[in-house]
Amino acid sequence: MGPLIPNGIIPPEWNFVIAILIGIVFGFTLEASGFSSSRKIVGTFYGYDFAVLKVFFTAALVAMIGVYYMDYLELVNIEELFVLPTYTWSAITGGVFMGLGFVLGGFCPGTTLCAAAIGKIDAMATMLGIFIGIFIFSELYDFIEPLFDSSYLGRITISDSLGISPYWFIFLFAILAVITFYVVDVIRKRVKKVFY
Amino acid sequence: MSKTYKIKKVIVKTEYKVLAALLIILAGGLVLLPKYEKNSGIKPESFLLNIMSTERYITTDQIADKIIKQDPNLLLIDVRKKEDYDSFSLPNAVNIPLEDVLSSDSEAYLNQDEYDVVLFSNDNFYADQAWQLCNRMGYKHIYVLKGGLNEWFNTIINPKEPKVTEPELAFKQYDFRKAAGMYFGVGNNKTTTTKVKPKKVIKLTKKKKKVAEGGC
Repeated sequence: MGPLIPNGIIPPEWNFVIAILIGIVFGFTLEASGFSSSRKIVGTFYGYDFAVLKVFFTAALVAMIGVYYMDYLELVNIEELFVLPTYTWSAITGGVFMGLGFVLGGFCPGTTLCAAAIGKIDAMATMLGIFIGIFIFSELYDFIEPLFDSSYLGRITISDSLGISPYWFIFLFAILAVITFYVVDVIRKRVKKVFY
Repeated sequence: MSKTYKIKKVIVKTEYKVLAALLIILAGGLVLLPKYEKNSGIKPESFLLNIMSTERYITTDQIADKIIKQDPNLLLIDVRKKEDYDSFSLPNAVNIPLEDVLSSDSEAYLNQDEYDVVLFSNDNFYADQAWQLCNRMGYKHIYVLKGGLNEWFNTIINPKEPKVTEPELAFKQYDFRKAAGMYFGVGNNKTTTTKVKPKKVIKLTKKKKKVAEGGC
């Protein structure tokens, strides 16, 4: 049956309407769970709050399990889902920069907008920084391009590159996630409490 | 610590454990589910509908026109055997024998968005079979040359002259076919088709004068 829009069950004109609705719900949830606070977000780096890590791990796991069950029941054809192409080294470099910005600004791109929307001035400054970063990247693109396009691996998934069954990978990932949750809880208890 | 706080703490703690267990059980369920071979390609219902439709056919005139105009979107694929392809085929055709249609080498030719692929064989039966394989896999822009190379020979290489009573359109088509035939190097086929009749040799035999027999 699915994916709904590529298979014509929902007309493609609804694409943006649905995107906006999902965006509103996403922003609301981010704000409601306190993710617009930079103190909460950088807690992952300092070890006093691992909410970000737990949320993203859980989200990935729930989505994985859900998508594969839906694929099994033929509600979604997993082959038709979009897989972002992998460029190993540019992904690693980008990840390092993203992490730096994360700990410097105290926001990830989504939460920046969220926090700016509720009027946080540091978030607005971070937003400005994002645009400056985009500008610098665009100006230096010719210089960066060799790294940007190098080590292209195609549209692969982890289970493709490791050569294991995706079901086993999800099972191992679930166990890993639960162990991680336990470990970060232990760390959080040992680190000095920060009130924010 | 008050009693209610303790109870709440226990509930929160076990809640997380329950949630963690739920995730692991669900993920484990995926591993344990019986696996089955999934239908690849399009659904049987739409495949049957596609088979009945004649939209896939393209005529020899259309193909000749496309070749002459050097249509960059055209990709001709000969699904006959290698020997047949080597002896004669359409200009710039690629040979993918019927048994190789689903091989990984030919996927680049068949499963793409740039070209209009036209399959042909001697008639359209093998080409139709190849088309069915491709259609079932969900490949797009695949067509079949109606009548195949036999029809090509009968219409483009050796067209039939229309009768005098036929509409003007038939004559125009005939002119196009003759011109197309010349393009493909057949020349003025009118002269090639008219057989030189062997001269009738009339043997003259002198009648022998018969000796009158008998008489009155």
